[in-house]
Amino acid sequence: MLLALHGVSKRFGGLQALHDVTCELDGRAVGLLGPNGAGKTTLMRACLGLLVPDAGVVKVLGVDARRDPGAVRMRLGYAAEGPHRIPGLSGLESVAYAGELCGLPRRTALLRAHEMLDLVGLDEARQRPVEEYSTGMHQRVKLAMALVHDPELLMLDEPTSGLDPGNRDELLQLLVRLRDGAGPAVLLSTHLLHDVERVCDSVIIMDRGQVRYAGTLDGLQHRLGHEELELRGEGDLAALAHALQQAGHAVAPGERPDALRVRLSAGHGSAAIWQAAQAVGATLWQVQPRGQRLEDAFMAAIHSPPATNGRQSNGLVPPKGGAIPPGGAA
Amino acid sequence: MKDQVHSIGYRRLPGERPHRWVPWPIARTALALAWRKRSTKLGVALCLGSTFIHGMVLTTQVLLDRYVGNPQDDFRRAALESVVGNVHTTFAVFISVQTVMCAFLLAMVAAGLVAEDRRTGAMELYFSRPLRRRDYVLGKLLAAGLVPATTLVAPFLLLWILVVGMAPPHTAGPLLGLLLPGLLGTVVSAVMLTTTILGLSAVGERGRTVAVIYVVGMLVLSSVGNGLSDDGQVWAGYVSPLRNVQTISDAVLDAGATGMLLSMLASRPETNPSALISAACLLFLSVAGLGLLLWRVRREVAG
Repeated sequence: MLLALHGVSKRFGGLQALHDVTCELDGRAVGLLGPNGAGKTTLMRACLGLLVPDAGVVKVLGVDARRDPGAVRMRLGYAAEGPHRIPGLSGLESVAYAGELCGLPRRTALLRAHEMLDLVGLDEARQRPVEEYSTGMHQRVKLAMALVHDPELLMLDEPTSGLDPGNRDELLQLLVRLRDGAGPAVLLSTHLLHDVERVCDSVIIMDRGQVRYAGTLDGLQHRLGHEELELRGEGDLAALAHALQQAGHAVAPGERPDALRVRLSAGHGSAAIWQAAQAVGATLWQVQPRGQRLEDAFMAAIHSPPATNGRQSNGLVPPKGGAIPPGGAA
Repeated sequence: MKDQVHSIGYRRLPGERPHRWVPWPIARTALALAWRKRSTKLGVALCLGSTFIHGMVLTTQVLLDRYVGNPQDDFRRAALESVVGNVHTTFAVFISVQTVMCAFLLAMVAAGLVAEDRRTGAMELYFSRPLRRRDYVLGKLLAAGLVPATTLVAPFLLLWILVVGMAPPHTAGPLLGLLLPGLLGTVVSAVMLTTTILGLSAVGERGRTVAVIYVVGMLVLSSVGNGLSDDGQVWAGYVSPLRNVQTISDAVLDAGATGMLLSMLASRPETNPSALISAACLLFLSVAGLGLLLWRVRREVAG
């Protein structure tokens, strides 16, 4: 089990950063997804033992982060958000120093630093002081520093923020390679859905300090997709939308002016749409299930009611927190 | 090209990793970074220069006794007094001058040790590693403490060994009595300087600001303390860290040295009336510095 959180709460003054967070996670790559201020960084800092939660238990790789933060950090590699660096040190020295801080002998740390910088693709620039680095190089060095002591779990906080598309693509490619190879499991915190979609097989969605969803990406995408239909046609579509709403179905405007999104109420098939169209004199030339995009599913999860005591009202997270088996469904 | 580099792949680290003492890498890295600054090199050069000059003076004083001293009994005592007394004065001056120089050097080396870690976010970087708070504090103390240890305590010991080694037998005996007071003075200075700079660094925002406040503060406290004390305000002497160090050294000299040595001293530095209060003042400075450092680290990180 990568992470096991039970009733974790943390308050900073008037701000409830984490509220009764309960979930269990396993797998090779897990995304921690949520808008800014959702509590992702607070959760990661609690996992590292950098802050003590007001309530609850945080276990990382089976170790209580509060009782033995040193043991947790020995098995974790963490790359924080922001330009954390030691000015004056070169990229190579920074990575080797990070290795030494994790207990590696000096020579081993230096050799390992070269190896990790090769892996992340930082070539000649490794000898330059880190303050001269671009954002992309910074992210690479931070990744190398997090990997240098061979952790079992790599925790990355917004690793692609501030990167141009090329650098971002390379970094994500590297994470995929780590996930698929002998590298550590990855916990990727981000607010960018695309990053999670590209790297992760499971996801925790957080908002305002609460877990809104924990499960596989497939489960998230398919949850709403099967129920929604997209129709396109001409004529009085406004009247058609009104008629469908009168019949108890949910209707929303489509992405084009000649389209509508319809979620039929239980027990009804697409025939109900055709009948309503006929009744209002609209002509339809397409009625088909709408492929649910991750963005929609994410927004639906964000707007769902918060979970209490580990239970999600939308049923996406099982009562015991939504343990995600490797490659399995939520 | 990049794809070829990437294709190296990730390799697991073989074998068990024994627990290593991490304060040393922290101290070593901090000192290595400080050494890259030109100002640090200048500070070290000044300290070495001061040690060299005092060494030359002491050597001259001792060799004068060896080669020019009158062997006749009537003059022997006078010669002995002049040499031993002068050596004592030179050591007292050396400790005072070297303490001030050391404060300058510490300001260059150690002012940013904690302040810059906070400013650049390196603190989080440290504590996302398996590092305990005490490892971090010890690492920083070691880094800062090595500066006065090598520029104040070690030079004093070297000079003392030089003087005693070169002195003729009749002078060497009384000179042995200068070791304990001098060593205590330098060690107390080293501890006070180290803890106060780290305490200031822990509350400061930028290394450069901390350095200026530290140096100016030390100079102002010392000069105000000495000045007011000389004008009759005896209590003000306790404000001067340097005067407090001299007071403690002098008290130890009085307590431990032989009557023969004391009778030979040509002059004594200005000191405070109570060695106990001086010790308490220095202890307060050191504890305050250490307390601020511990408070800051505790505040920054939970575990």
